[in-house]
Amino acid sequence: MTEPGFTIINQWLAGKGFQAFPFQEAAWRSIVDGESGLVNAPTGCGKTYSVFLGSLIQFINEHPLDYAKRKNNGLQLLWVTPLRALAKDIGRAMEEVINELGMQWRVGIRNGDTDTSERAKQKRNMPEVLIITPESLHLLLAQKGHPAQLETLHIIAVDEWHELIGSKRGVQVELAISRIVHLTKQPVSLWGISATIGNLDEAAACLLAPIEKAPVIIRAQMDKQIAVESIIPEEIEKYPWAGHLGIKLAERIIPIIEQSNTTLIFINTRGMSETWYQTILTVAPHLAGAIALHHGSIERELREWIEESLHTQKLKAVVCTASLDLGVDFRPVDTVIQVGSPKGVARFLQRAGRSGHRPGDISKIYFLPTHSLELVEAAALKNAIHAGTIESKTPLLLCFDVLIQYLCTLATGEGFRPDEIFAEVKKTYCFSEIREDEFRETLLHITQGGDALQQYDEYRKVEVDEGLYQIKSRRIAMRHRMHIGTIVSDAMLKVKLLSGKYLGVIEEYFISRLEPGEVFTLAGRNLELIGIKDMTAMVKPSKSKKSIVPSWMGGRMSLTANLGEKLRETLNEVIQSNSPQIELAALTPLFDLQKELSHIPQSNELLIEQISLKDEHHLFVYPFEGRLVHEAMAAILAYRIGKIMPITFSIAMNDYGFELLSDQPIPVDDSNVQELFSTENLTADIQRSVNASEMAKRKFRDIAVIGGLIFQGFPGEQKKARHLQSSASLLFKVFSEYEPNNLLLKQAYQEVFDQQMEEVRLREAMMRIQQSKIVLQYPTQLTPFCFPIKVDDLNRNHHSSEKLEDRVKRMQQQLESNTR
Amino acid sequence: MTKPVLHIIRDQHCWLHAEKIIWWEEARSIIVSDLHFGKTGHFRKSGIAVPQSVYKEDMQQLAAMIAHYQPIKIIAVGDLFHSHANKELDWFLRWRQDFAHVAFCLVKGNHDILSPDWYAKAAIDVISDYYTEGPFGFIHDTADIPEEQCSNYYWFSGHIHPGVRMEGSAKQSLRLACFYFQQQYAILPAFSRFTGLKLIRPKKADTVYGIIPADQRFQSPPSILRLQ
Repeated sequence: MTEPGFTIINQWLAGKGFQAFPFQEAAWRSIVDGESGLVNAPTGCGKTYSVFLGSLIQFINEHPLDYAKRKNNGLQLLWVTPLRALAKDIGRAMEEVINELGMQWRVGIRNGDTDTSERAKQKRNMPEVLIITPESLHLLLAQKGHPAQLETLHIIAVDEWHELIGSKRGVQVELAISRIVHLTKQPVSLWGISATIGNLDEAAACLLAPIEKAPVIIRAQMDKQIAVESIIPEEIEKYPWAGHLGIKLAERIIPIIEQSNTTLIFINTRGMSETWYQTILTVAPHLAGAIALHHGSIERELREWIEESLHTQKLKAVVCTASLDLGVDFRPVDTVIQVGSPKGVARFLQRAGRSGHRPGDISKIYFLPTHSLELVEAAALKNAIHAGTIESKTPLLLCFDVLIQYLCTLATGEGFRPDEIFAEVKKTYCFSEIREDEFRETLLHITQGGDALQQYDEYRKVEVDEGLYQIKSRRIAMRHRMHIGTIVSDAMLKVKLLSGKYLGVIEEYFISRLEPGEVFTLAGRNLELIGIKDMTAMVKPSKSKKSIVPSWMGGRMSLTANLGEKLRETLNEVIQSNSPQIELAALTPLFDLQKELSHIPQSNELLIEQISLKDEHHLFVYPFEGRLVHEAMAAILAYRIGKIMPITFSIAMNDYGFELLSDQPIPVDDSNVQELFSTENLTADIQRSVNASEMAKRKFRDIAVIGGLIFQGFPGEQKKARHLQSSASLLFKVFSEYEPNNLLLKQAYQEVFDQQMEEVRLREAMMRIQQSKIVLQYPTQLTPFCFPIKVDDLNRNHHSSEKLEDRVKRMQQQLESNTR
Repeated sequence: MTKPVLHIIRDQHCWLHAEKIIWWEEARSIIVSDLHFGKTGHFRKSGIAVPQSVYKEDMQQLAAMIAHYQPIKIIAVGDLFHSHANKELDWFLRWRQDFAHVAFCLVKGNHDILSPDWYAKAAIDVISDYYTEGPFGFIHDTADIPEEQCSNYYWFSGHIHPGVRMEGSAKQSLRLACFYFQQQYAILPAFSRFTGLKLIRPKKADTVYGIIPADQRFQSPPSILRLQ
């Protein structure tokens, strides 16, 4: 490596007392050689330099004599990052290097926060490095004249690719790349940067698909030591109730916070993070001012202040959600506390890794259960870390909603020609299996609005002019630009004080249930609702002790298959091991009661409990496959039981099992239980039970927003667009009845199939159950296992094989007999 | 057509249909609310591809009721049209010609923003506040009933798209569109299929008729049932 670029960079590093890591040098070599690939490195060990410095070396090599003087070189490096909060820090780090090398490169940032004058400046004169989010990347493609801005590009780097892959934002990145690689004068190198996931090879292949090159995979060999410690309650509650235990343990974390430099406390939902913040302040008032609350609904300025304070060690602890999962490292952080199940091994490791980054440091993570059964998960997590099993992130396939949005984006910008774009789209990993007729259907959707030849129709979106597909209406183009993106949030209202001070946002779903005068909690403050006006909730501070904590519907993730399996194995230890792990030993009272009332399933068993209480009949099933799979399995079981007799079920689930609840006795016993899990006719039964379930309806909301059927409200536009508003459930009903072949509706079902009812995985689970021993128990009272499912009532599904009219009449009778 | 149920109020015979209309026998009139005609067209014109057949079926449904009862008049208590004029409303004009002999009376709703000329062309009598006939008053939103007139009539209105939630044991529940009769006024369900529901909380003295939608699995047509 004697080229001038290497020499200059190595000299610069040496001058600072640094030495390049071997993986960085390997990445530089590959970049200079024009290769593409993936760098696998955890945060905080120079992954940014591995690609960024490679880009500088390449430039220096090409211009050895005047690299320092060359100005206005046009865009060289496009740096895609999933988090806009990251952009500033990365940009700052890059600028520092450029300045110290005496080069003239500029670093620009492009995201939702970039103001219009800055955008205009970039349009006239692109910086050499542009740090951009996937959404802003598409916005760039929605601009006229973007090909000229991109033609000088050499390298596209996709940071945190493990976060993007497997999501629709990842698909957005794939599509944008498929276009951009055709706009440059020279071949582009593609580099992904990813933390460790189970399918790194697939992740690399997915990213590189549009350029059809074999990926170079560079791994930073940095083994990180992780210490996991569970906080074990002194008294084990035998009836675990999700969310209740955790708060009681708040006192136990105070000494941990005090003994640590800086602690991050990860909470799974925003609602619980509010509660935790309050509770910590109550039990340790002396921490006031030294702790902060950070989640996605908190005002940006406050969040930025918290991040800054973390860097400068002004805070002792921060209560946060996934909002701090990613991003640059906060050096002072030496301790992490995970409250509640992290749902997967990868996420747990990632969070653990937010502490102790310096080489040789140990990442210290405490696990605090929110209900006692979660201690089993802690034991399972330890087992999984020990065995080194980390989840894969499966790339999404055939997302027509994202394709529709992308085609409209191109139509808003320069316009597109279908043949050319079809060839490009088909090269992406996501759409490699797209058929020509499916693409044509997509085109029809955006040009004619579905079924053609409608009378009196004025559908207008994309117009075709001599083969060029364009959006000509300025109003439609503007609205499209404002809705580019695939992150669908619930309808949100701004929260403001009467003085006009903005406090954050809150879900409309939550606030619409409050009456003026009621008190709720946001950003750690108790606020009294005064009223709602123009998508804004007006509030005033309240001294009331009682307040309602908003429940954010999002953030209820499912246990991964990987962790589920570990969980089943871990339960074996309870019975078989003489010296079970500390977490399991602590649970002895709970397990004893479970054994007494019912049974503890081994990994080769499936436990089913049937419990009848008054006029409610429960069937609890425990496959330990995670919430998503349980939802699907429950739907199939409900469907199959419904064939025996007309019956209506209300369905609930958690990560360990599910419940079928009916007002009639459930006809399941030893004689037919085996058949209920049969893999025979599984495909057809999946199909029928999906159609009858509400799963597709829930998927449809995101799809409808991404596909442009629903406008998420934004300030100023509401009034004008109010005649264009409809709810996702209404659209779902209308399409189901009147256009069942609609592309987006079909996709909703497809997503249920692929992601939840994934036939392969379901079939595997059903086969596993078939080969297991089914243990049917009839406890006379609720058991420790079923209790958390029964009390967790969010998102109940319904399934009925009864005639609607009969159901209504029976409910009426029940009502009457109740009032009598 | 489905079997209606009879609701007698102020000695008048009102036949309630699962098709979401009322046949007022004495006045030989159809009472209907929140038709939102032209809504699909309004969406499509803005690039939102909702199926137009929703609108077509709504018009066919109303035509079928007219053909059956041969009314002398249709009283729409507001939101007959969804928004500005569009081609779908030209379609309505043609539809209207088939029933030129039937009078059409519209008590304006918040969505009815078309020009007086347009209504004239469609042969629709537009009343901007409220309409009265016999013992009945007609208004879009009950909130706008003038206080001094409130007890002089029994009022028919729409606007909120009422729905009712039924709960059974074992956490069962259902949401149904409904006709909602209170002491001084009644609220009609929205006629348009392209509308959602707003749940009402009926009081003990109120009368509620739920509309049970068609259940295709059993080939059963929609039906109407008194719930309380």
